[in-house]
Amino acid sequence: MEGGVGFDLCLRVLSYLLSGPVLYGFLGWLADQWLHTSPLWMVVGIVVGMAAGIYLVVQRYGRP
Amino acid sequence: MGPLGLIIPMEGGGAEDDAHHWPPGVHSFDPKPFFPDAGMDWLNTYLLQAVIATVLVIGVWLWFAKDQRVVPGFKQWIGEQLYNLVRNGIGREALGPDYRRFTPYLVALFSFILVNNLFGQFFLSMFPTFSRVGYAYGLALLSWLLYNGVGIAKHGLGGYLKLMTMPKGVPGPLYAIIIPLEILSNFIVRPITLALRLFANLFAGHLVVIVFVVGGSMLLENADFLYKIAGGASLLMAFPIFGLELFIGALQAYIFTVLTAQYVASSLAEDH
Repeated sequence: MEGGVGFDLCLRVLSYLLSGPVLYGFLGWLADQWLHTSPLWMVVGIVVGMAAGIYLVVQRYGRP
Repeated sequence: MGPLGLIIPMEGGGAEDDAHHWPPGVHSFDPKPFFPDAGMDWLNTYLLQAVIATVLVIGVWLWFAKDQRVVPGFKQWIGEQLYNLVRNGIGREALGPDYRRFTPYLVALFSFILVNNLFGQFFLSMFPTFSRVGYAYGLALLSWLLYNGVGIAKHGLGGYLKLMTMPKGVPGPLYAIIIPLEILSNFIVRPITLALRLFANLFAGHLVVIVFVVGGSMLLENADFLYKIAGGASLLMAFPIFGLELFIGALQAYIFTVLTAQYVASSLAEDH
């Protein structure tokens, strides 16, 4: 799994970087709808998702 | 349209008073049932094209495979070259020594997508089948089943899920954040982007062709002389666009097959 091949590798990195903010931003948005704190948790979710996506890319592909 | 309209292929064109088909746009891609009154809406151009492509692909490969000789004749040579293109260029490149098992699927996938994309330029059909998103989803679903099935068969269900969703070296609590992300990325985003890439390329490409051809013929029929010049230029430009579409159709067939092979390779990979 680590490494991956060619074209798939770049798409996979892109997919992590995109799914992070989208997923956690969405969960945060749901929390906002529920708690009426818009947009606090959505912002937190997007930041957390970005961090998770970048962390995952480094973890999976950032090592030699 | 006037008499000139008869000699210019106008997909989705039709008369000006036909509010449903004029001007051409996204609705030009709506399926057209062959027997609108018989209640068989599923029998439309897209389905027919897909079925014709299936028959054509099976027939051509069977024809290539008939009377194989040790010293290949011309027909067999062509067939082998095409087969090797996918087998060596895509299968062996991505899958390494495992390629043999997957070559039939990859060859079928490549030729099926290629034929369907070429229908976009073929003068009787003039519509690429995969400009309808459902067909692209269907193919992506096949590839999704393949790469997940292969992974589960090799690593077992638990081992496969662990491989796909739990990268090594992550401290325990972080898994709570990582695992949903991995599931979304590996099992949902990848197949959907696979389908959307194919669909969007053909849809957008064909929309450009419609704009150039139908818009050009419309301008050409206008009384204003300058409009006529612009229309003629637009119609001429349609030919390079058709060439581009040919190229993109072949390229997308190739990319879809390469990515399928690479997804399978990533499911088969050992965890280092």
